[in-house]
Amino acid sequence: MGFLAPWALLGVAAVGLPVWLHLLKKHKTTPVPFSSLMFFERRTQSSIKHRRLQYLLLLALRVAVLALLAVAFARPYLQAHLGALVSGRKLTVLAVDQSFSMREGDRLERAKRSAAEAAARLSEGEKLQVLAFGSQVRVLGDSAAAIQTIEPSDTRSSYAELSRALRSIAQSAQMPVEAHLFSDMQKSSLPANFADLRLGDGVTLLAHPVADRRMGNFAVESVLAPRRVYGNGKARIQATVAGYGTERATRHVSLFLNGREIASKSVDVPAGGRAAAEFLSVDVPFGLNRGEGRIDRGDTLAADDRFYFSVERAEARRVLFVHEARAGRDALYFGAALAAGEETAFELETVAPGQTAGLTPQKYAFVVLSDVSSLPASFEAALRGYVRAGGSLLVALGRESALRPRVPVFDEAVIEVRYFARDADRFQTAAWLDSAHPSIHDAQHWDDVKFYQAVRINPGHARVAARLGDQTPLLVEKQIGEGRVLVFTSTFDNVSNDFPLHPSFVPFVAHTANYLAHEEEGPANYIVGAYLRLRQTREQGAAVEVLDPRGQRALTLEGATHAETMPLAMAGFYDVKRPNGRHELVAVNADRRESDLEPMPSDTLALWQNTAQAKGGAASGEATAERKPVEFWWYALIAVLALAVAESLLGNRHLTLDSRTGLESEKEAA
Amino acid sequence: MLQRFLDPATLASISGLDLVAKTVVDGFIAGLHRSPDYGFSQEFAEYRAYTPGDDLRHVDWNVFARSERVYLKRYRGETNTQLLILLDASASMGFGSHTVNKLDYARYLAASLCYLAHAQRDAAGLIVFDEDVQNYLAPATRQGQLFRLLHAIEKAEPGTRTDFAKPFTHFLNFMRRRGLVVVISDYYERPEVIVKTIEPLRFRGNEVILFHVLDPQEIAPQFREPVLLTDMETSGTLEVSPEYARSEYRRKIDSHVQALRDQAKGAGLDYFLMDTARPLDEGLREYLSVRQERM
Repeated sequence: MGFLAPWALLGVAAVGLPVWLHLLKKHKTTPVPFSSLMFFERRTQSSIKHRRLQYLLLLALRVAVLALLAVAFARPYLQAHLGALVSGRKLTVLAVDQSFSMREGDRLERAKRSAAEAAARLSEGEKLQVLAFGSQVRVLGDSAAAIQTIEPSDTRSSYAELSRALRSIAQSAQMPVEAHLFSDMQKSSLPANFADLRLGDGVTLLAHPVADRRMGNFAVESVLAPRRVYGNGKARIQATVAGYGTERATRHVSLFLNGREIASKSVDVPAGGRAAAEFLSVDVPFGLNRGEGRIDRGDTLAADDRFYFSVERAEARRVLFVHEARAGRDALYFGAALAAGEETAFELETVAPGQTAGLTPQKYAFVVLSDVSSLPASFEAALRGYVRAGGSLLVALGRESALRPRVPVFDEAVIEVRYFARDADRFQTAAWLDSAHPSIHDAQHWDDVKFYQAVRINPGHARVAARLGDQTPLLVEKQIGEGRVLVFTSTFDNVSNDFPLHPSFVPFVAHTANYLAHEEEGPANYIVGAYLRLRQTREQGAAVEVLDPRGQRALTLEGATHAETMPLAMAGFYDVKRPNGRHELVAVNADRRESDLEPMPSDTLALWQNTAQAKGGAASGEATAERKPVEFWWYALIAVLALAVAESLLGNRHLTLDSRTGLESEKEAA
Repeated sequence: MLQRFLDPATLASISGLDLVAKTVVDGFIAGLHRSPDYGFSQEFAEYRAYTPGDDLRHVDWNVFARSERVYLKRYRGETNTQLLILLDASASMGFGSHTVNKLDYARYLAASLCYLAHAQRDAAGLIVFDEDVQNYLAPATRQGQLFRLLHAIEKAEPGTRTDFAKPFTHFLNFMRRRGLVVVISDYYERPEVIVKTIEPLRFRGNEVILFHVLDPQEIAPQFREPVLLTDMETSGTLEVSPEYARSEYRRKIDSHVQALRDQAKGAGLDYFLMDTARPLDEGLREYLSVRQERM
């Protein structure tokens, strides 16, 4: 037995308090008048002794309360002998790998069969726990019947996650754990850091490999395809075929769109290498298309012979460009920059502020307010609702818009208009750029852009992506609801600056347009286990609808209205309808590291198994007999509570007696 | 016949000692009390022959007419004695464990006796004492004597300690004629000292009655836990355990009472223990009944 906080034992000195109080109480006895002491004898010793006897129980209770309180705060513990505690009992854990690679041949069936046999060998009363693991560990229960419920998944196996679960089980079970692992023992499932494989003390790992040799396997490693094709453009699609432990071979690669083969090609795949098949000028049907890159079957793991991708053909999206009627060059420069890309994804629609009253912003990919002095109130209100629901707005500020006290929709104050002389190099340049911002992340040659005029605004809590040399915010972004507002504090008309004349203007406009139109959000393809972002903020808006590859709803009602993300648990196509009405097709593929079926070396497995004995030092397969500190301060506190109640009752009784002591009580009795 | 006695607490609730005494005495005490002397009364006692010098008013002239012999007619009188009450008003008499303390009880007793004497036209007097004589009213039968007595009894308050020697020596000087002497006290003194002090009263032909007034808590203390007791006369303190009070003290107080009773009897003094928890009229009746039987 020991104490984790022995200094708290100093509190035991407090037991002197009740002792002192009890002694003091003797001297404070209230004298009771009596007619004559003629027949009494002085027997002080006798009476004090009696008093001590009378209050001994109360004193003992008080002393015990204080002493136990001090002991409890000292956090006593006992060195519990784990082996002695469990006295030979153990918990048998059957962990069955259900990762993507277990789809190879009949690996999973063999694993389940082996697990069932191991469960049958357990003696009566022996504890059992069945686990299924891929990237995460699921506890299926303590019945051998649970083994048969295990289904193959598309996840990647993680032995580090399994080790963490075994450590947790051993800690909570407080008995030796004998873990039987039924897996293909993939080398690629080992973590980068071997320490993550450490098993808990008292855990014995017994491996039951279901694959004893390396199997050659071909897989479609990736498919590169544009996410969207606009107008009459053709798609360029590239599929990569990888061989894992394979000999040189020729593979036939086919391209499927919506289940229909549209192109095929043969590629020579070197031994254990990769080969790409490129399909140029692929005609993509209008709308969302489910694409697959497939190879002919040549191995026993067929699930990775296809790779899912999605591609959408759409009309160029319209962009509403609102500017003053007398201006003109800003729309010219902005439209030219938008049209400069390989594919024209956007069509600019210019209107004057007075013409916006009847417009519906929701019909546009995003809206640009280019140095607008005033807007119809109805349109401004519509813009606010549009942004809050997920729309995007770009605001360029110039002399006209500086007349307004606040930036429209952005709702921050306009402070002043700053002018910088064109001569004598007194103009301003973009002195600071946030390269992490999507609009300027690959911006170059901004240094020679001259700014002669900028509107200084209060950025509030918005993100400042660029500043001029005098620290005037140049590009500011604010998230409002689900949407975003980007404020450029100068103009696009080559008057307030010469930005439109510089090469950096085109990528700026292109990136900004894609960013505002949500064209480049998220990866083109996801892998199983990744999380799909459903909404930008926690603000609750319209529900998100997600159908999984089986066509079932992937979200609960609450998740549809509240969840920000959702895990992608299986390979295939997820149909997503976002709150802003956009319809997406998300292609999800299994992690291709699962396609490498090379088993881990036996010495690595032995090292992993030995991590359990690093501390205990006992032989494998036997329960480690370890001494663990078991705290029991809560028992002391429970005892303190019980003693305090007893002390209160007894003390109350004595108080009652004190008030009726001696003759007074006799008067009442008489 | 059902006899309803008066609880001391009931007496304490009655205002005025005269009413208390009347309540106690009326109804059952009258007739029990016999004077130790002969006097004027309607109850015939005996005849005796006339000798020269006798008062001719006592000659029974009817007998003389019938027999020509002169006889004197003698009667057993009820009112022809002198009652003197010695009331102890020391500090210890102020003790009480219930509504009536010892002095209250002694007051009721003294008042009842005065009322009784007055009813029988006896001369009654009072001496209130502690370590000295606090108040003295000479025995008399004159008008208003009863109220003077009751007033003096009512005025008696617990004083200092008890000293029998000094007031009794003083009291002997007031004794003019023999009669009935009643001493009401708690007698916290050694029995031999008490008897030795009071005994001379008996030598003068007085009938002496000792009423020993004690509280039930003094007779049988009931302490549930150790208590610190303070002597009401000496202010001394003593811590007493319940065990001692239950055993040793009781043995001592019983021994004291028995010794006082025995020595009083040996000296020709009447002794009667009055427990203040006991109804006063019940105690008085018992005492007077015993005394009547003895006469």
